[in-house]
Amino acid sequence: MPLLQLISRRLLQLIGVLAGISLVTFLLVHMAPGDPARLLAGERASAESIAAIRAQYGLDLPLWRQFLTYIANLVSGDIGLSLRFQRPVIQLIEQFMWPTLFLTGYVLCLAVPPTVALAILGARRPGGIGDQIIRLVGIAGLTIPVFWLGIMMSRFFGVSLGWFPVSGYGTGFTGHLHHLFLPAVSTAIWLVPVLTQSLRAALIEKTTADFVTAARAQGATERQIFWQTMLPNAVLPTLNLLGVMVAFMIGGAVIVETVYAVPGLGTLMVNALLGRDYYVVQGLTLVFAVSTVLITLAVDLLTAFIDPRVRF
Amino acid sequence: MNSLSRSRMRAASAVLHGAVVMAMGLCWTVPAFAADVIRVVSPFQTTTLDPMRSAAAGNIETYGQLYSRLLRRDAETGALEPGLAEKWDISPDGKTYTFHLRDAQFSDGSPITAADVAFSLERIRTDKKSAYPAPLGAVEAVSAADAKTVVVTLKSAFAPFLGNAEIWNMGIVSKADVDKRGEEAFASVPVTSGPYEVKQWKPNEKLVLEPNPHYWRKGYPKSDATVELIEIASPETRIAMLKAGEIDVVRAVPWAQVDDLKTVETVDMRLEPSTTIYMTLLNHKREPFSNLKARQAAGMAIDNKAMAKAITRGYAEPANTTLPGSVDFHDKDYPGISYEPAKAKELLAESGMAGREVKILATADALSQQMALLIQAQWQAIGLKPSIVNVDGGAWWDATGKGDYDAAANWWYNETPDPDLAVRWAVCGTCGSNSYNTFYENPKVDALVEQGTREADPAKRAEIYKEIQRITTEEVAQIPLYYAPNAVAYSRRLQGLRLTASLQGTLEETTFGQ
Repeated sequence: MPLLQLISRRLLQLIGVLAGISLVTFLLVHMAPGDPARLLAGERASAESIAAIRAQYGLDLPLWRQFLTYIANLVSGDIGLSLRFQRPVIQLIEQFMWPTLFLTGYVLCLAVPPTVALAILGARRPGGIGDQIIRLVGIAGLTIPVFWLGIMMSRFFGVSLGWFPVSGYGTGFTGHLHHLFLPAVSTAIWLVPVLTQSLRAALIEKTTADFVTAARAQGATERQIFWQTMLPNAVLPTLNLLGVMVAFMIGGAVIVETVYAVPGLGTLMVNALLGRDYYVVQGLTLVFAVSTVLITLAVDLLTAFIDPRVRF
Repeated sequence: MNSLSRSRMRAASAVLHGAVVMAMGLCWTVPAFAADVIRVVSPFQTTTLDPMRSAAAGNIETYGQLYSRLLRRDAETGALEPGLAEKWDISPDGKTYTFHLRDAQFSDGSPITAADVAFSLERIRTDKKSAYPAPLGAVEAVSAADAKTVVVTLKSAFAPFLGNAEIWNMGIVSKADVDKRGEEAFASVPVTSGPYEVKQWKPNEKLVLEPNPHYWRKGYPKSDATVELIEIASPETRIAMLKAGEIDVVRAVPWAQVDDLKTVETVDMRLEPSTTIYMTLLNHKREPFSNLKARQAAGMAIDNKAMAKAITRGYAEPANTTLPGSVDFHDKDYPGISYEPAKAKELLAESGMAGREVKILATADALSQQMALLIQAQWQAIGLKPSIVNVDGGAWWDATGKGDYDAAANWWYNETPDPDLAVRWAVCGTCGSNSYNTFYENPKVDALVEQGTREADPAKRAEIYKEIQRITTEEVAQIPLYYAPNAVAYSRRLQGLRLTASLQGTLEETTFGQ
C-alpha cells in the first residue's frame, strides 16, 4: 500500500525533524543573552534571589545536563513547565492555539474562493485587460506591509467606522468571525496574490499541454477540458504552496496577532521569547514543526488523491 | 394527581417565582452594574500573583488590587493611613513597632491574623526567592505577639519604615493557603486580602478580577464591576482599542499620541504625577566613563531641556539631580548639569578620552530609540565615537548587569515618597544594586545613605539627601534627563480612577459616571 508507506515514511521523518529542531532551539534560546530569572523577578531583584530562582529551575546546571533532562522529559511526553507562569507549556499552547487555528481557517475560507476565481479569470485571456488588472492589484496587495495595512484597517474600519472590533477573539462562533474579520482580511490580502499568481501560471502552462490537445482531439468541449483536465492538473503546485503558507501562518501569524491583539500562538511566541521562557519557546517550536510536517503530509495525500500518478 | 391540582400548583409556583424575582430585584439595587467590566490595558505583563516573587512593572500594578498591607496611602493626598493595622505604637528608641490589626478577612472568609502578617513579612525579608527584600533591610525580626498584634523589631532606628511597610510587595498573604499549596497557591487563584480576588488568570493575555466580598474596607470596591487587566504589546493597538471604546484605561500612552487623545471626546487623557526619572546610565567600570572628566563632559554635552521637549512634547520636566523630582528632599534649587558643549569638548580632551568608542545600549521601543539617537548625536559633537547597539529587554539586563556597555538611557521610579529606596537603588555601591548597574561607588555617599535612615529629624535628613544629590550629580553617577509624568488615558464613563505615583490604580474607588 503506497499510501500507508507514504504516511509511515513521513512519520519516521517527523522523529528526525523533531530531534533536530529540539537541539537547535534548545541551543539557540539558551545561548541568547538574557536571564529568565532576572526577567521573572524584575529589575530590583537582588543577586541572591536571582541565584535562588536559577537553582530552583535547574538553570544553574551545565547546559548538557539541562538538555538531557529536557530530552528525557520530552520522550516521556512532557514538554515542560513555563518558567514565568508556573503552568504546563501544553496548557498554555492549548489556550492560545484556538484563536490561531480559527484565524488560519478563516483566512483559508476568505482566500481560496477569490484565488480560484481570479486565477481562472486571468488565465482565460492571458495578457488581456482583466489579467493585467488582476496582476497589478495582486502586486499591490503583495507589497503592502501587513503591519501597516493592519494598523490602517483597524483605524478605519474599527475606530472611525466602528464596524469591526480592533482587538481580541470574541466569544462564540459569530463573535470569533466578527473579531477576527480584520486580521483575516489583512492576511488574505497578502495571501491571495501569491496563490493567484501560482495558479494562473499553472493554468496558462497547461493550456498548451499534450493531454489538453489530446482531449481536444477526442472531441471534448472547451468547458469539459477546462474543468476536467486543466484545472485538476494546474491546482497541484498551488496546493503545495498553500500547504506551505498554512504551516507558515500557524507559526508566523505574529504580526497580525500583535496588531489586532489576538491571543494566539504568535503573541505567545513573541512574549515567551522576550521573557526568555525557554520551555514555552521550545514547546511552540516543536508544535510548529509537527504542524508543518502534518500539513505537508495532508497536502501530499490530497495530491495523491487528485493525481493518481503521484501514488506510484 | 388531577389536572386541577396541577394547575393550582403551577399557579402557586408562579406566584412564588414572581415573589423571588421581586425580592431579588429589591435586594439588588444595582443589578445593572453587575454586568459591567472595567478593562485596563497595559504593555506590562502579569507573570506571577505572588507579591514576593517579582518587582517587574506589570506585577507591581496587580499586587495592589489583590493584597492589603499594614498601611495604605490615601489616593488623593498620598498620606499614610491605617490599612490592615488599625493603629501602631513606636517605641521611644524607634526600634520597635507594634501593629494592632483590625478585624479583617481573606477572600476565603478566614480571619487575617498576626501570624499571617508575620509570615508574609518574614517571607519577603528572608525567603531566597523574594525579589525585593531591601525595604525590610532594617528589620531584625517580625513576630506575632497575639492573634491581633504584630511586633516588628529593627536593627536600628529607621525613619522610612512605615512608608516601606506600605509598598507593593508588602501585601499580606494567607499563611494557611501558602502552607497548604506552596507555590501552587499563586499559580492560578490565590487567597487574597485586597479589594479584588482572581476570577480567572490567562497568563500572557489577561487577568480577570472580581470584588473580594470579604474586603475589610466595607463598601469597597465601590462598583461591583469585574476588572480585566489586559496585556497588549503594541502601542497602536492600545490606542485603537481605546478609541473604539473596547477598553477603559490605557497605561503608557506614547507621547506622540497624547495631544491627539486630548481631542477625543470620550477620553480623559491625563498626565499624573509620578516618581519616574529618565536618565542615562554610564558604566563606571571601564573607560571612557570610569574617568570623572569624561563623565562630566558627557553630561555637559547633553541638552536635557531640549531632549525633554523633543521626546515628551514638553510634558516632562528636565531633571536636575540623580533623584526623581517628586521624592521627599529632592533639591529643587540645585542647578543641575549645565549644557555647555564647548566646555564639554575641552573637558573630554583633558580627560584623554576624546575619540573613544562608546557603546550605547538601546531596546527596540520608540522611546529608547529616540533617546539613544539624541544622545549619540550630542556625544558625537564633542568628539566621542558613540554607536548604538540594539538589544531586547532580556539582553539589556544581561549586558548592564555584567557591565558590558558604556551608556544606556532608561527610567526607574521610586515606590515611596521617601528617598531611601531611591538612593539605595541608584547611587549606592554597597546596597546590592551596583548603583543601578553603573558600578558607581563613593564611600562617602554610601555612608550618607545609611546616615539618612537613622536620622529622625526631617530637616537634618533633608541636608543629608541634598548632599547625596550634590555629590552624585557633580560626579555624574548618571546623567539625569527628565522627570516624566505617567501618561494614562481613561474612558470618561469612569470616575475616581487614577494611577498613583507608586503605580497603584485606585480601582476600588472607581464608579461609573453617567
